[in-house]
Amino acid sequence: MRALRNLKEALRGLALHKSKTLLMTLGVVIGIASLTVIVAIGEGAKAKVLARISDMGFGPEAFSVAAGAGRLFFARTKTPTTLTLADVDDIRAMPTVQAAVPHQRQSMRMVYKRNNTFTRVYGVTPEWQSARLWKLSDGSFFTDEDMKRKAKVAVLGATPAGKLFGDEDPVGKMVRIGKVYFRVAGVLEKKGVTESGFDPDDRVIVPLSTSISRLFRQTWLFSIRIHTLDPSMVQETMEGVRQLLRKNHNLSVFAEDDFRFITPEGIMEWVTAEERALNRMLVLISAVSLLVGGIVIMNIMLVSIRERIREIGIRRCFGARRSDITQQFLFESIFVSILGGIAGCALGVTISFVLKNLHVLAAKPTWESFVVAFAFSAAVGLVFGIQPARKAASLSPEETIR
Amino acid sequence: MSLILMENIVKTYLSAGVETPVLKGIDLRIEEGEYASVIGPSGAGKSTLMTIMGCLGSPTSGKYILDGEEVETLNDAQLSRARNEKIGFVFQAFHLLPGVKAIDNVMMPLLYCHKVPADARERARESLEKVGLAHRLHHSPGQLSGGEQQRVTIARALVNDPRIILADEPTGNLDSKNGAEVMRILDQLNREGRTIVIITHDPKVAQHGRRTISLMDGRILEDRRHESVTQFEGSPSRAGSA
Repeated sequence: MRALRNLKEALRGLALHKSKTLLMTLGVVIGIASLTVIVAIGEGAKAKVLARISDMGFGPEAFSVAAGAGRLFFARTKTPTTLTLADVDDIRAMPTVQAAVPHQRQSMRMVYKRNNTFTRVYGVTPEWQSARLWKLSDGSFFTDEDMKRKAKVAVLGATPAGKLFGDEDPVGKMVRIGKVYFRVAGVLEKKGVTESGFDPDDRVIVPLSTSISRLFRQTWLFSIRIHTLDPSMVQETMEGVRQLLRKNHNLSVFAEDDFRFITPEGIMEWVTAEERALNRMLVLISAVSLLVGGIVIMNIMLVSIRERIREIGIRRCFGARRSDITQQFLFESIFVSILGGIAGCALGVTISFVLKNLHVLAAKPTWESFVVAFAFSAAVGLVFGIQPARKAASLSPEETIR
Repeated sequence: MSLILMENIVKTYLSAGVETPVLKGIDLRIEEGEYASVIGPSGAGKSTLMTIMGCLGSPTSGKYILDGEEVETLNDAQLSRARNEKIGFVFQAFHLLPGVKAIDNVMMPLLYCHKVPADARERARESLEKVGLAHRLHHSPGQLSGGEQQRVTIARALVNDPRIILADEPTGNLDSKNGAEVMRILDQLNREGRTIVIITHDPKVAQHGRRTISLMDGRILEDRRHESVTQFEGSPSRAGSA
């Protein structure tokens, strides 16, 4: 009950000194706002990576094996020529494997009439489309028959289709890729540039058989995407594939793998590790600004106590205990910083939305950040309020009343 | 039993290693219902005596018993309670909380009561009515005249029904008309049985009491009982026009 009365007196004091209250609040507002924005950016980045992974057509039951030692997308050595269609057949024969889609890839120039563009050319099997779940906006995908005939047909991504044909309908037209003419069979649906600047639409798909014998003129593969029957089989399948490839490639016990695995978890881990380092720095910065906010509160409280010595003395004369004075001033600083915390959250959320809508950063505010901000601001008020409050209470009434 | 009993009270201030004796052995007894004035030139130790009497500071040595309680044995909470329940202060400089309405200023001591009375606001209003300020409940000190402010402090001193009212130069900051009004209220309170101790340097104010304790150089020079002069004659201008 005493605490409630002291809280009331604290609120009265804050209302009486509005400009000081505002100043104290401001310090916390800035700290909490930056904390909220940082947490939102972290969440946004995570969501972005997840979206990117799902965009790659990786379900939890799939993974890729790519030629060359290294990690994820980065081969440490020059891409070896050891990954072949024979490996694909062996992998397809494994009992836990539902599908294995081989890929070849090269960047090549494409020409239509007077337009030309440089793009990534993929040689894949027809099952690629169902594995990637990528619809066509126009025309049709090539078939098993095209595979068999090594047909010179191509499916364009939205970017080269736009660059080469503009408003013209590309389906049925002839384009030149490198030195070979292809008939356009279809156009892939546009996915749009990702927030990291990667353009998934900048590609052309041709039958693998055609790319092997007519376009790239190479038999070795760039990567194989493997879909297992069930997500729980990914680990054992990966181990089986490793054994199989080492045997097929005649690797000695001491040689390292001449291939690498690309898994959603692996990508996730890599990206979050990158972002964790950045995040840690940003959190540190906002912690410093919170610290500054706390020091602002402490200083203003200390000055304010000097000015309010008389008030403290009067209260003591009429029966306020030391603890009453401590509580009153502590409540003032806690209330101020919680107020700052709420305002800071609001500001932070606003900034997050602005950043998102301006496509500067993918910020995603979460309610966890509110809880964190609230707890932090209350703690700041408590920690930096204790000293001034104790100082106020330690003044002897005899001296304060003079 | 005496309301106030002081035995050989000594107070020495220590600043920068120099000891300054202010009270050099005060023996004093004040009974319930008395109307006493402590008078003396500045530096005689009047204010120090008041701070000790009001439990705001402790003596260097000596014994002080207030309403049966030995003050030096009390801790902070008990001292605060003693100030809250037994003493009502009236200060020369009013010492009202700035920016706070008269009624809230008067209610303030009730907030620090051991048990806050449910009718705190009602009691504060009654107290203000008693000093003739029923029409000024919602004015802050800045909107009140000096005389009105001092009457608010008297209302505040009375609100918790204390055993004793300690008034430190209650007319010091007032003109003669307002001073007379304040003294009239104090006289009236004493007639109703309230114990009052006034600290003053002004003999005319002291004459309102029925006992004058003269302080000089930290000792009691004279302790005299006399008739109360309830007519206040303060300023020279009033005296000249009379």
